[in-house]
Amino acid sequence: MDHGKKKDTPLKAAGVMKNKCSRRSFLKGVSIAAAAGSAGLVTGGCGSTASSEEMGLKWEEFFKKNYRLMTQEEKDATVTRLERLAKLQRGLDVQMSTQEPINDVLYGYAFNITRCKGYMDCVEACVQENNLDRQSKTQYIRIFEMDTGQLDPTSGDGKYFHEVPVEDKFYMGVQCYHCENAPCIQACPTKATWREPDGIVVVDYDWCIGCRYCMAACPYWGRRFNWGEPVVPKEEINTKQHYLGNRMRMKGVMEKCTFCIQRTRQGKLPACVDSCPTGSRVFGNLLDPDSEIRFVLKNKKVFRFKEELGTDPKFWYFMD
Amino acid sequence: MKILTLRFTFFLLPAVMLLSSQLAIASQDSVMERIQAADLPFDNTQVESTHQLSEKTVLVKESYQGGAFRVLARKDSISRYRCSVCHTKKIPPVNDGALITHGDITINHGEGKNELACIECHDPKDRDFLVDMQGQKIDFDHSYQLCGQCHFRPKRDWLGGAHGKRVTYWAGERVVMNCTSCHDPHSPAFKTKMPETYSLPLDE
Amino acid sequence: MTTNPKKGLVVFISDCIRWSLSGGVAFKIYLAVLLAMIGAGVYAYGHQFREGLIITGMSNIVSWGLYISNFTFFVGVAAAAVMLILPAYVYKDKDFHEVVIIGECVAVGALVMCLLFITVDMGGPLKVWHMIPGIGLFNWPSSILTWDVLVLNGYLALNSLVPLYILYSYYNEREPVGWKYMPFVFLSIFWAVSIHMVTAFLYQGLPARPFWNNPLLGPRFLASAFAAGPAVIMMVLIAIKETTKYPIDTTIFFKLKRIIVVSAIINLVMLFSEVFKEFYAFTHHSLSAQYLFFGLDGHDSLVPWIWTAISLNILGTLLFAFAPKKSNSSYLMVAGVSLFTGIWIEKGFGLIIPGLVPSPMGEVVDYAPSSNEILITLGVLAVGILVVTLLIKPALVILLKYKEGRLQPETASS
Repeated sequence: MDHGKKKDTPLKAAGVMKNKCSRRSFLKGVSIAAAAGSAGLVTGGCGSTASSEEMGLKWEEFFKKNYRLMTQEEKDATVTRLERLAKLQRGLDVQMSTQEPINDVLYGYAFNITRCKGYMDCVEACVQENNLDRQSKTQYIRIFEMDTGQLDPTSGDGKYFHEVPVEDKFYMGVQCYHCENAPCIQACPTKATWREPDGIVVVDYDWCIGCRYCMAACPYWGRRFNWGEPVVPKEEINTKQHYLGNRMRMKGVMEKCTFCIQRTRQGKLPACVDSCPTGSRVFGNLLDPDSEIRFVLKNKKVFRFKEELGTDPKFWYFMD
Repeated sequence: MKILTLRFTFFLLPAVMLLSSQLAIASQDSVMERIQAADLPFDNTQVESTHQLSEKTVLVKESYQGGAFRVLARKDSISRYRCSVCHTKKIPPVNDGALITHGDITINHGEGKNELACIECHDPKDRDFLVDMQGQKIDFDHSYQLCGQCHFRPKRDWLGGAHGKRVTYWAGERVVMNCTSCHDPHSPAFKTKMPETYSLPLDE
Repeated sequence: MTTNPKKGLVVFISDCIRWSLSGGVAFKIYLAVLLAMIGAGVYAYGHQFREGLIITGMSNIVSWGLYISNFTFFVGVAAAAVMLILPAYVYKDKDFHEVVIIGECVAVGALVMCLLFITVDMGGPLKVWHMIPGIGLFNWPSSILTWDVLVLNGYLALNSLVPLYILYSYYNEREPVGWKYMPFVFLSIFWAVSIHMVTAFLYQGLPARPFWNNPLLGPRFLASAFAAGPAVIMMVLIAIKETTKYPIDTTIFFKLKRIIVVSAIINLVMLFSEVFKEFYAFTHHSLSAQYLFFGLDGHDSLVPWIWTAISLNILGTLLFAFAPKKSNSSYLMVAGVSLFTGIWIEKGFGLIIPGLVPSPMGEVVDYAPSSNEILITLGVLAVGILVVTLLIKPALVILLKYKEGRLQPETASS
């Protein structure tokens, strides 16, 4: 594989050291060959059962740009390819959107730790809405059962499974907080993760190289990695998808809560907010002074987790 | 000469790193700064995808910080509304008395000796309405006016959005759940139950 | 130049290949063992490439494991070549001058291992072209990983091209021209320090991980690198002394020993400083250290490892510090292995795993590498050893021949 090239290149390169043009073209040739070889590996990895159309689509997908650099035509083209691949590979008709952020919107979120009873409807709704891997039971939301008298989730239990609520315990949900000063965005070497103008921190799954540096950088355990190929039963796949949101991911890439970008950019609440039976979750536009989230920030005593780290999260906790 | 080059390069690297990281941070406002600067109302009509809800709603008689809003109607979900069909001036004739005379309702509202009586909320003179402490009639669709008498703090929060839940949309016209969407008025506390799902231990 | 460069280079490379592969039965067996380990590693990697990283023992909590641990350690070994370069070129120490190329070969081998460890750790290695500026996006200067990519590849270039030039000159029976390579030598001295500081900054710059986020991590990396690296080089020199005709003066060992002792003692002082900070006033930030040294919530898989590491570290330091003047090779080898192993554990998975446990939300898990992970790691280690062997062998031949004043390209190797 690659290490063979690394051994030869320094020795060979010395011979062309004097001739800058040929070295540049040589390296360019090597990198193109490597990329072509990799693309060949990618398409060859389909196995013999893949059709040539599928291989062709995968080939084109391999060479595409980072989403932020794409023109609208290129975005439409990749969506068409991905929808076609979903049809070929899974027999599904998906509608994938590349909807832009709404102007003058900055999403904010508040969580009422008095009201949460630990029912975990939110966790399950998120899994269903966002096509999370059922095999590894990936969950973007984690609910901690906390002892009273302490506020740090490090003293909570995230693995409970008994009748809730338990007396003398309270419940606190954590997920990606979509920080304005996110350390994960700073850490990513390929700019595969960024903050959209409406405040959502997103991942371009096809661009991510899987180094997991962002995961080490996140102080809130907000990011998940696809260690294996994610598996969702066909009948449970949510076909209303967004390119940056709940489309089917692949192994070796990061993913995270996207505030249900496929829903919120259509004016809908995220699945967790919508499914909460106790109304503990509040979501809205921080730039709208009349919104519910602004009411909470103004009238309730709110706090943010690990605020001293300077991450400026857009997720607050409050009590009744 | 050698030492000078070394010294120069030793200081150059940390200086470049420091400067570049400062540049990255300095250019953005914090969330609170952006919030404080945002005082113009948001034009909800620009979000085109919010659709009319399928459930019936009524205009709330009070307003919130953004003006008027709507609440889910209640009367359609009451199976035997109108109550005055049975509850006329005469004692209603019933064939399956035990079933129909609300024998299935247990009052678990108010603790111990403070348990609420039926007529504290239901108007004894007109069963189609609820009644408040001043004797004023309250429509079932506007039950928040009744609950809000005692539960005035949650009601204030409900008006503003810190209590209760919006229906489906965060944008567009505000429609919220009414009190009885979540709380059974006769037994309003949430029950204990098993969680919808569980989380795996993280080293599996 | 008297010879035709193009022809000379091809002959040079073919001679080097010939010299690197020739040897007795023992050498061939040694090569075969290494190739077998590499083969097993490639097979296991094929498995990982198809299934994904799920076949390793890593999880969403311990998201970096054996691969990154070894990467961290071997960057230090690579940086330690500077400890030979500095005395050889700046202080013009004659003894070090004899062996500096061997140190650079070890550095190249270590760097190849580091680049391979990163490659096998990535979820999408085929997409690495996404980092190339121009055709991809390179998040420089924000991401410390991009700095690391630059400095590691730059150091690899420096440490392969400079010795290549020197050896090629010797091969053509010429003194290498000073101004052509000396600036790069000075650059590589500074660069060696920077590769290890930048690698340390990868971890040090994360406030999410309080175990790593302390100012001492960078200097600590340097101290442990300058103890473990020269120990590796010393072991390589001993191996060369025992198995080849290349003359190595024992004063070299004495001088290396001094460097090792000073660095190892500074490393221990820094270890004490870290332990004090963690345990004197115990905060939630000290939970990682508690997990490492004493176990946490019943999870204590790293405890025997760290205490072994510290014992080996102290043992190695003492053995080196109190080594008799005329210490023989076995003694130095034992001391070197002890110190190397101790630092390998403590700076490898004794640093990476506790940094990730408990999770930022306080959950404690254990980590154990899977058999696939271990096979791949051994394969990469074997690649490194192979690279070092295949570089040192022709280098020694060329150096010997140059010293003996005669060099005929057609002569059979030593």
